[in-house]
Amino acid sequence: MSVNRLVNKFEYALFRHRTLVIIAFVAATIFLLMKATTIKLDAAFTKNIPLQHQYMQTYLRHAQDFGGANNILVSLCDQNGDIFNEGFFDTFRKAHDELLYTSGVNRVLVKSLFSPSTRFVEVVEDGFAGGPVIPADFVANAAGLAKVKENTEKAGIVGRMVADDYSCAMISAQLLDVDPETGKQIDTIGFANTLEQNVRGKYQSDTISVHIIGFAKMVGDVAEGAKGVLVFFAIAIAVTSIMVFFFCRSLMLTVLPIACSLIAVIWQMGLLSVMGFGIDPMSILVPFLVFAIGVSHGVQMINSTGKRVAAGMDAKTAAQASFRKLLVPGGVALLSDTVGFLTLLIIEIGVIRELAITASLGVAVIILTNLILLPVLMSFVRFSKSYKERASAPSPKIDKVWYGLSAFATRKYAAVILIITAALFAFGYMQSQQLKIGDLHAGAPALHENSRYNQDTFLITDRYAISVDYLNVMVETIPSACTEHSIMAKVDRFQWLMENVEGVQSTVSLASVSKSINAAFNEGNVKWRVLPRNTQSLVQASSRVETSTGLLNADCSVMPVILFLQDHKAQTIERVVAAAKKYGSELGDEQTQFMLASGPVGVMAATNEAVAEAQQPMMWYVYGAVIILCLLSFRSMRATISVILPLYVVSVLATALMTWLQIGLTVSTLPVIALGVGIGVDYGIYILSNMSQMLRDGTGARQAYYEALKERGSAVLFTGITLAIGVSTWVFSALKFQVDMGILLTFMFIVNMLGAIVVLPALAAFLWRKD
Amino acid sequence: MRRTIICLTAIHAMFFATTVAAETVDNQPQTSDIAILAEKALLTDITAIGDQILVAVGERGHILRSQDAKNWVQATVPVQANLNSVYFVNKQQGWAVGHDASILATQDGGVSWQLQHFAPQVDKPLFDVYFFDSQHGIAVGAYGLFYRTTDSGKNWQKEFHPEVLSEDDQDYLQQLQESDEQMYETELGAILPHFNRLYADGNVLYMAGEAGFVAKSIDNGLSWLRLDEFYNGSLFDITRTTQMSLLTVGLRGHAFISDDQGMNWQQVALTESATFNSAFSDASGRQYLVGNAGVLLVSDKTGKTYTDYSQPDGKAIVNGLIWQGQLILVTKVGIKTINLSELN
Repeated sequence: MSVNRLVNKFEYALFRHRTLVIIAFVAATIFLLMKATTIKLDAAFTKNIPLQHQYMQTYLRHAQDFGGANNILVSLCDQNGDIFNEGFFDTFRKAHDELLYTSGVNRVLVKSLFSPSTRFVEVVEDGFAGGPVIPADFVANAAGLAKVKENTEKAGIVGRMVADDYSCAMISAQLLDVDPETGKQIDTIGFANTLEQNVRGKYQSDTISVHIIGFAKMVGDVAEGAKGVLVFFAIAIAVTSIMVFFFCRSLMLTVLPIACSLIAVIWQMGLLSVMGFGIDPMSILVPFLVFAIGVSHGVQMINSTGKRVAAGMDAKTAAQASFRKLLVPGGVALLSDTVGFLTLLIIEIGVIRELAITASLGVAVIILTNLILLPVLMSFVRFSKSYKERASAPSPKIDKVWYGLSAFATRKYAAVILIITAALFAFGYMQSQQLKIGDLHAGAPALHENSRYNQDTFLITDRYAISVDYLNVMVETIPSACTEHSIMAKVDRFQWLMENVEGVQSTVSLASVSKSINAAFNEGNVKWRVLPRNTQSLVQASSRVETSTGLLNADCSVMPVILFLQDHKAQTIERVVAAAKKYGSELGDEQTQFMLASGPVGVMAATNEAVAEAQQPMMWYVYGAVIILCLLSFRSMRATISVILPLYVVSVLATALMTWLQIGLTVSTLPVIALGVGIGVDYGIYILSNMSQMLRDGTGARQAYYEALKERGSAVLFTGITLAIGVSTWVFSALKFQVDMGILLTFMFIVNMLGAIVVLPALAAFLWRKD
Repeated sequence: MRRTIICLTAIHAMFFATTVAAETVDNQPQTSDIAILAEKALLTDITAIGDQILVAVGERGHILRSQDAKNWVQATVPVQANLNSVYFVNKQQGWAVGHDASILATQDGGVSWQLQHFAPQVDKPLFDVYFFDSQHGIAVGAYGLFYRTTDSGKNWQKEFHPEVLSEDDQDYLQQLQESDEQMYETELGAILPHFNRLYADGNVLYMAGEAGFVAKSIDNGLSWLRLDEFYNGSLFDITRTTQMSLLTVGLRGHAFISDDQGMNWQQVALTESATFNSAFSDASGRQYLVGNAGVLLVSDKTGKTYTDYSQPDGKAIVNGLIWQGQLILVTKVGIKTINLSELN
């Protein structure tokens, strides 16, 4: 009983110096509020990457030579469907220069019709001639444009730099991780804004449309959409406040838990800022979640205090008693949440780790604000006579409802409930096995299908042969490998085998380009589209390709095979990666290895694998943590089973729901499972902590459950519904991933609550037999 | 100019000699991969066996067979070299030739194929194959590569045809043979032009090739007579038109007609600047010229004036034929079928 003594001591100290406590809280809040206002949206490409993953090791090893996966495609389209006019070329050149001089862009890798590295070759009687696609003396008149069109065809860049139907032209660029001028991390969101203003803003017109895609732009759009979260936040505060008011019928009791929960949010943001973190657009909902959890615990506190005041205690005694009564179950519940969120740290992806830190910090702060500050504040409340009368008035109708519900704790009903639960579990389990890892839809999954970004993505994929959905298989081999026929032939065959894999749209590598060049050297005769066995000829064919093409490094010991995919759906990636591994191991040897993977889809493949690998251990850890905390606080195996079992069934059902709604397990949905468990456990702990003493004393399950319902039932029901309403508003979010999270969390809040008031008593009925 | 080329090729050959030994594994023929995209990849030649079956060949040892020009079945082929030409002497027996001096043969109308000749060390492609009957045939290719068989391809003997060279070059070779044995051997493999296409016109055999080369033979290719030069660019096909003229096509939109068995040639006036890869005709006398950059020119029935039906995708068309009212083309991106009624 040392915990009790400790709680008592703490309670005594706290309430004796309550003014001091409040002053301390106010001071801390002011300080952290100032810090919180400086917090910034922060998104870096590398945060989204599982850096420890084998693929990403390959990616990082070659990022220096080949650039990364953080690219930007800007496509300008002529509204009349033909780019060969003066106005278009004028605008296009300006847009090219604009991108070239935007800070953060790797200037060497800016490519378009206007870059000097865009060249063509043509065959003439005595050899072949070539030059830049846009000649130095280019004038945008009919003759000049006709020349450029001719050169474009000769250069073989239709489908890559120019749309298949000549309606658009492309500028591609890569972003640096660190700005070489300032030495600082590139501000991705700032860069996206610059693109929007300086490229789309300036060059979009009635005749020319601008389409921009790439990671940075996507993050920028997500950040833009995330601003809408403030509206949801306001709605949630309003809805919650009204609900709390109807629950307690007291203005003061409404303001206090809401205020304390807001303080928790301020502390969380402030602490993040102090620790040097920004807030990632992907975890922008976390403060909202913290608020919701805070209210849920605050309501338990005002409920408990209100009931005691109604029973005749004065405010201070009632607040003190509630503190004593709720510190342990509330603390355990919140600690479970904290630990649940911390388990996300095992996933080696920056954004998820930040989410883990952000969320666990927020929840830990609630222990201070809503379990300590709130009761202290409550002790100052003067309860009006009318409140006391209203609260103490017997409520036979409600009690009748509670008594009816308590039948769940009788064997007869319990058996039915458990059978239904088992059936649901079995069904859910089967469904959950079908859960797909990764994105299940084309376009950027964080955004809606009809969002500007995704529309741009579809347009570019539609009109060009390429997209941002590409995966590079890095062929790591010996220096000067591009002069060895045997190695180049391997690369060529690998490329061909991969091109035949479903989902691969087109491919390019040094081998395929060398074959074209060899044909060009032989009078443009396609029958010479081969890799010459003769070293001299092979050198001639491959040395024409510059390293800036991204097809080889300086000594051609590394040559990527670039696979452009139709989309980045989980299945597509899985299929392509599996094929690349199979063919890579068949064709590879000690000298030449086909290494996965770079490029945006390489990153996705690594992320999908990291998420898939993390799923099981994360569940083990989160449940492990919750079980240990339950065992410690209840000191009872039966109690732990009663709390955990319904929770697990809900986790499985949530996974089944994901399968059913075609929500893939991704960086943004994976945390929901952990969050759901962490939050869901609260209900069970509150109900069971009230029942456990009576059960231990030999009271029957039904009686114990009835008493618990009378004491906390309304608060549990209320909390579940309030939280669910709050998160369900996310369904209207501009961001697809918030919609997904909203649906899943609403489900988890409601069903976990049902689990606690329906399945938990049924389990109790069997676990505690009345002797 | 010819001298400088010779010197360069000599240097080539020296490099070549040092690297061949290092590539032993690479020198074994490998069975072609069955690939769904084979019918959309580079195809170089197509032929009809009777009225029923089409056979097309292309890169990576692809051989495709079809009975309706829509559904194509890829044959398993014991080599992955690019194939450049296919020829059937009857409904059963056919040959396909290509890079690495590969010669494949079929006895069952193109269903299964056997490798008769494979010489990657030669490092030259074969471009065309022709059989006089089921036993006697020749295959020709780059740098005057020339093989002959008299036993349906069980054995292929290499031939060298210096008679097509200019007198200067013949003298040079003779001197070399006396002074520098090694250099002479090297030159034998490089001094002749590419033999791009064979065409049997009754008992006369024509051959078109690199740098304006056209030769004819009246003894089944045992000896050749080079025609007087009328153009210095490469020629890729030679054929007889329905109007009984000789037609040869080649580099950068050049086409020439001869009404006197090749004595005199007139350039056909065309505005096209892309290279023609092949020329063929249909029964009605219309002439088809196909080439790089999607070029497709179709003449009227007199064979005189051409209409441009070039394909917008700009992909090289390598060859084609008329089959059951359709124009079937083999291109850089595989089979392309055009209904003749669309070309009016």
